Amino acid sequence: MPNTYGNRTLTEWLTLVLGVVIVLVGLFFVIGGADLAMLGGSVYYVLCGILLVASGVFMVMGRTLGAFLYLGALAYTWIWSLWEVGFSPVDLLPRDFGPTLLGILVALTIPVLRRMETRRTLRGAV
Amino acid sequence: MRRSHLLATAACATLAWAPLVANAQFAPAGSGGAPTSTVPGPGNGSSSSFEPTENTPAAKSRFSGPSPYAPQAPGVNAANLPDIGSMDPNDVPQMVPQQSANPAAGDWAAYGHDDSQMRYSPLSEITPQNADQLKVAFVYHTGSHPRPGQTNKWAAETTPIKVGDGLYMCSAQNDIMKLDPTTGKEIWRHNINEKYEAIPYTAACKGVTYFTSSQVPEGQPCHNRILEGTLDMRLIAVDAATGNLCPNFGNGGQVNLMQGMGESVPGFVSMTTPPPIVNGVVVVNHEVLDGQRRWAPSGVIRGYDAESGKFLWAWDVNRPDDHSQPTGNNHYSRGTPNSWAAMTGDNALGLVYVPTGNSASDYYSALRSDAENKVSSAVVALDVKTGSPRWVFQTVHKDVWDYDIGSQATLMDMPGPDGQPVPALIMPTKRGQTFVLDRRDGKPILPVEERPAPSPGVIPGDPRSPTQPWSTGFPALRVPDLKEKDMWGMSPIDQLFCRIKFRRANYVGEFTPPSVDKPWIEYPGYNGGSDWGSMSYDPQSGILIANWNITPMYDQLVTRKKADQLGLMPVDDPNYKPGGGGAEGNGAMDGTPYGIVVTPFWDQYTGMMCNRPPYGMITAIDMKHGQKVLWQHPLGTARANGPWGLPTGLPWEIGTPNNGGSVVTAGGLVFIAAATDNQIRAIDEHTGKVVWSAVLPGGGQANPMTYEANGHQYVAIMAGGHHFMMTPVSDQLVVYALPDHKG
Repeated sequence: MPNTYGNRTLTEWLTLVLGVVIVLVGLFFVIGGADLAMLGGSVYYVLCGILLVASGVFMVMGRTLGAFLYLGALAYTWIWSLWEVGFSPVDLLPRDFGPTLLGILVALTIPVLRRMETRRTLRGAV
Repeated sequence: MRRSHLLATAACATLAWAPLVANAQFAPAGSGGAPTSTVPGPGNGSSSSFEPTENTPAAKSRFSGPSPYAPQAPGVNAANLPDIGSMDPNDVPQMVPQQSANPAAGDWAAYGHDDSQMRYSPLSEITPQNADQLKVAFVYHTGSHPRPGQTNKWAAETTPIKVGDGLYMCSAQNDIMKLDPTTGKEIWRHNINEKYEAIPYTAACKGVTYFTSSQVPEGQPCHNRILEGTLDMRLIAVDAATGNLCPNFGNGGQVNLMQGMGESVPGFVSMTTPPPIVNGVVVVNHEVLDGQRRWAPSGVIRGYDAESGKFLWAWDVNRPDDHSQPTGNNHYSRGTPNSWAAMTGDNALGLVYVPTGNSASDYYSALRSDAENKVSSAVVALDVKTGSPRWVFQTVHKDVWDYDIGSQATLMDMPGPDGQPVPALIMPTKRGQTFVLDRRDGKPILPVEERPAPSPGVIPGDPRSPTQPWSTGFPALRVPDLKEKDMWGMSPIDQLFCRIKFRRANYVGEFTPPSVDKPWIEYPGYNGGSDWGSMSYDPQSGILIANWNITPMYDQLVTRKKADQLGLMPVDDPNYKPGGGGAEGNGAMDGTPYGIVVTPFWDQYTGMMCNRPPYGMITAIDMKHGQKVLWQHPLGTARANGPWGLPTGLPWEIGTPNNGGSVVTAGGLVFIAAATDNQIRAIDEHTGKVVWSAVLPGGGQANPMTYEANGHQYVAIMAGGHHFMMTPVSDQLVVYALPDHKG
């Protein structure tokens, strides 16, 4: 298989870094969230962590699915947080502000990931 | 015992995103029994004290303090004062009417304005309409601040008093001065040469007391006197006109308050509040450093003759029938509850209201006597003729949470059942429960209920009280018990960290008992609710102003072995090194089976509190119409706080931890600093609207005061900062006034 990781553009590098960040956050969520769930706490974090790890891994692989998984996790996060604290800005802040910022960045990577996928398909076709 | 403070300010840069909507809710009311003055439940109280005798072998461990019978260390009696003699309390001369009984309209004659300690001034030049024009009139430097090489233990907490032509105050290290109230120029200054070693937890001097003698004729030196209790345990009297020591008071103007205290080291025991003078009796209390050892020096309360400085009586909890000074090698009983809050005098009833703290070793109660259990964390009304309690009202039974009372009681009248005013006392507490009592007999005026206090998993041999008192007729100054979803942070990452921390701890509400196997959460916690700032009350409008904290703690008992590994040792241990373990937060609790580890309930990596904001609130309560909340909002902005201690510069009222109280005026304004945003504010008393604010040169952790001089109203605040609140230290008293339109 040709080296799909060669000759990356800057945006592709940034996408890769974003994917790695999401994997790391996801791992923290999985490990910490499992701990929390076993202590009788919320299961949101461990479930969200699994989604995030998958999302990050696919993004690192240059798959658009990664970005959509993240957006799915973000939707889950919003629904969960509104269920948990309602429309209380001060309580939504820690739950949704960072993830939404990250979500905007992830949305911006969708064209990049598409391009990477197209290139891979083309290479596969050659 | 002692001051309590909270660090940890929290606020977050990302707040810019969110309009701050943070309303505290009140804890729900419930049902329960009648209040009790004795500790309820079986096993709650041992028959006698376990205090070591002279023949008890001294502990051999290098982590233990010396025998209570060992001599006091050099420097404890810093001024080398000889012992003071005693006199019969019946021989105390009749006191002349004092300035503080009925101050001139423009004066502020006592710590809380006057004998009622209402913190209310009848001045009305400054109003909600013109407060925004307030400007700095002058700044006075006390000269007390950390020198190079000294740890910052400063928090001056000073409130000046104003009588006639002088503003009288003390520096954080107890130098006394008289200032010109219009210019801040020093008229005299009396240096008392206090050593740095004498600073206990905090270098604080909340104020001085003005006394007019009945024995020295007017015009003679020391007719009017300034009295002060010091960090190094001296009671000092100087002439108000010159600042010279009063030769006929004590030993050349000073009394050694370490007399009869037994073994101690400098900084273990100290005075930080202005002593009240009741019917000629000056009553002194003192703070004992928290968490050191079970047999710490006594929390004894003593009365002295305000004219001669001679000893009158002692109230020593474990020697209830002996009011004399100990002789020979004896000492006041060790480890008894100490009182570090400002006391309130009542000349009409001949009482002094003592807000008590806890027995030494705050978090372990199995070694306390019955007598201690009856009076700890209580309001004790002592008869100033005898030194015996006339009544006791306990706010926490068998306290192991450091819910010692930090506030001063405020005296006021409540409407009685037959329409006649009842002499009442308002006692705020760290629990956020405010008790309103009949000061003649200590009976609650507003309902108080004993409610069950579940306490699973108690320490063996140390059962908790099955019930605790709740003031059900007064708004609770707290938020409901914490839940996992109340955990906060900048992001889900630190929020998750705090949620795990929450779940890893024991927590069944306010009275979760101490535990060894895992941490426990304490909310309201030792800085929670109302601390030493106390409350202010406007008797005209009937509005009571309270500022309070929402700052939970995260505590754990540790075995003796673990405590030794942590290097925890009492301050009087010969091996103790300053900063080498244990004087603040964590404590050795030497003499008990456990040490204590105390931290704020925070994310230690970001320095932000784990619970959601607000962390500090201000509330106005209508005392004339059923104790309704008139307004309530967060106090303090995020401007000087943020993650990793970084200031965010944000003007949002997030509600920060606050230390220091308020003033209310006939002009319809509340003046308050207190919050960790280093600002002073003027708030409309009736609406809660902030009509003016100004940035101070240091933290405003002090009670402000207001006075009139030369026809103008001034507002003074000591911007001394607070080491534990992590606000900038300064030595500046800042005084504001409206611009002089005539000039």
